[in-house]
Amino acid sequence: MNHQSIAIQLQNVTQRFRVIHERPDTIRELFARFKKSRISYHDFEAVSDVSLQVRRGEIVGLIGRNGSGKSTLLKIVAGVYRPTTGQVTINGTLAPMIELGAGMHHELTGRENILLNGLLMGYSKELMQSREKKIVEFAELGDFIDAPVKQYSSGMYMRLAFAVATEVDPDILVVDEILAVGDFNFQEKCLQRLRAFREAGKTILFVTHSLDQIESYCDRALFLEKGKIAVEGTPAEAIKAYLGQSMIEEPVLVETPSPRA
Amino acid sequence: MIELFRDTLRYRELIWALALKELKIRYKRSLLGFLWALLNPMLLCLVLTVVFSKLLGSPHLHFPVFLLSVLLPWTFFSQSLSYAAESIVGNGDLIKKVKVAKLVFPVAAVVSNMINLLLSLIPLLVIVLLIGHPVFLTWLYLPIPIAALAILTLGATFFFAALNVYYRDVSHMLQIILQVWFYLTPIIYSLDDIHIPAKYQLFFKLNPVSYALNGFRYGVYYGHVPPLRSIVASFACAFIALFLGFSLFRRRQHDFVFYV
Repeated sequence: MNHQSIAIQLQNVTQRFRVIHERPDTIRELFARFKKSRISYHDFEAVSDVSLQVRRGEIVGLIGRNGSGKSTLLKIVAGVYRPTTGQVTINGTLAPMIELGAGMHHELTGRENILLNGLLMGYSKELMQSREKKIVEFAELGDFIDAPVKQYSSGMYMRLAFAVATEVDPDILVVDEILAVGDFNFQEKCLQRLRAFREAGKTILFVTHSLDQIESYCDRALFLEKGKIAVEGTPAEAIKAYLGQSMIEEPVLVETPSPRA
Repeated sequence: MIELFRDTLRYRELIWALALKELKIRYKRSLLGFLWALLNPMLLCLVLTVVFSKLLGSPHLHFPVFLLSVLLPWTFFSQSLSYAAESIVGNGDLIKKVKVAKLVFPVAAVVSNMINLLLSLIPLLVIVLLIGHPVFLTWLYLPIPIAALAILTLGATFFFAALNVYYRDVSHMLQIILQVWFYLTPIIYSLDDIHIPAKYQLFFKLNPVSYALNGFRYGVYYGHVPPLRSIVASFACAFIALFLGFSLFRRRQHDFVFYV
C-alpha cells in the first residue's frame, strides 16, 4: 500500500488524561495544598495504544458505548488533542465536525460567521467568499444571511453550521454524532451530502449510535471498548460485537447532544 | 520567535477577522458604538485634569496634552492585557472543538486594541489643536514607540493568557496589578516632578513599559525625539518581554485544551 492511498494513519496512539481530584483551581487552594497534602490524581487512558489506517475514499464508522474513547479518538484525528504518545498522519485537508457550530458567534451575522468559521478551520478568505452562495443555498437562509445568528431558528443554525463545514470541499470529514440532531429534513440533507462525498471519493470517519447508518454507509466499522479497538471489520461484524457486549452488560445509553453546547 | 512571526503571517486573515469581531461585539447595541473607545480615555482625562491640574496644580502646561499623550498608549497596554488574559479561557469552547493555532487569540486581542489606539490619535490631535499646543513634526516619530509598545504588550499578553489557563485568579489579580502599575508609571506626572529617594530610583528604571510610553510624550508633548538610550531600552524591554511571554505560551499551548 503506498502512502498516497492512506488518508488517516494512527500509530500506537495513546491519550492519557490526568484526572486530578479537585484540581486546585485557584491560588488559594494551591497554597492550602502545599501546606496540607500533595495533589492526588489518577491517570486515565481514554485511548490506549490504538493503531489505525483509513484509506482514501473509505468510510469508517466508530461505535462503542459512552466513554469508550470514540470522541477522544476523533479529536485526536481532528488535531484538537495532541496525543500523549504515538504518531498521527493526515494526508489531505480535513474538516472537523466535532460539534455543529463550534466556531459560531451569536452576535455576528450569517455572512460573518461563514467567513470566521472558514478561517478558523484554516481556509482562506477568498475560498470562503467563493463558497458563500452555495452555503447560503444549502442552509436555506434567504434574507437571514445578514441577520445575527442568534435570530436564526435552530434548523437554520444547524444547516448553516453543517454547510460551512462541508461546502469547503475537504478531503477528509470527521463527524461526531451530529446527525443525531435536527429533524428528518435536516438529517436527510446531511446524509445526501455524505453520499455525495462518498461518490466523490472522500474519506469519512464518523461516530454514531445509529447502527442503521453504520450498516448502510460504512465500508468498515470499528468497535471501541475501553479505549482500544476491540473489533475491526465489516459493519456487520462490528455491530454484532457491539450488540453482544451490550446484552451482557448494561443497556446502551443513546446520547443526543444538544446542538449548541 | 520565528514561529511566532510565521504563524502570525500565516493566520493574518483569521487574526484580522477575530480582531474586528471583538470590536464589533464590544460596541454592539450601544448608541455611541465605537465612539466609546475614544470617549473613555477623554473622559478619564477630563477628570484627571480637574484633579491634578486645577486642584493639585501640576506644573505642566497644557496638562490634557501632557496626560493624554501617555494615557492613550497606556490604555492600549492595559486593555490589551485585560482582554488577552481571558482570550484563551474565553475561547475554550472553540479550542476544544476545532484545531486552531492558539496564538491567534492573544494576537487578535492586541490587534483590536491597536486599532483603538490608532484611531484615538485623531481626537488627541483635535485636542492638541483646540488647546493651542504646537503640533510638532515629531508626531512622525510615533511609529517607533508604537512598535516598541506593541511588542512589549504582545509579550505580556502571551504570558498572562497562558497563566490564566491554569490559575483563573490571574485575570482578577491583573486588574489590581494594572491599577498599581498605572500610578507607578509616569502617566499623570513626569519623573522630574517628584523627588525619588535614591534607593527607589532603580525601581522606576526597571519599569519596562515606561520607556515606550515616554516616546509618546516626547513626540507629542515635548516635540523632540527621546535620547537614544531610552529608545534602545524600550526595544530591549519589548523583546525580552516577547521572548519570555511567548516561550511560556509556546511550551504550554498544546496543553491548554485540557484545562480550559
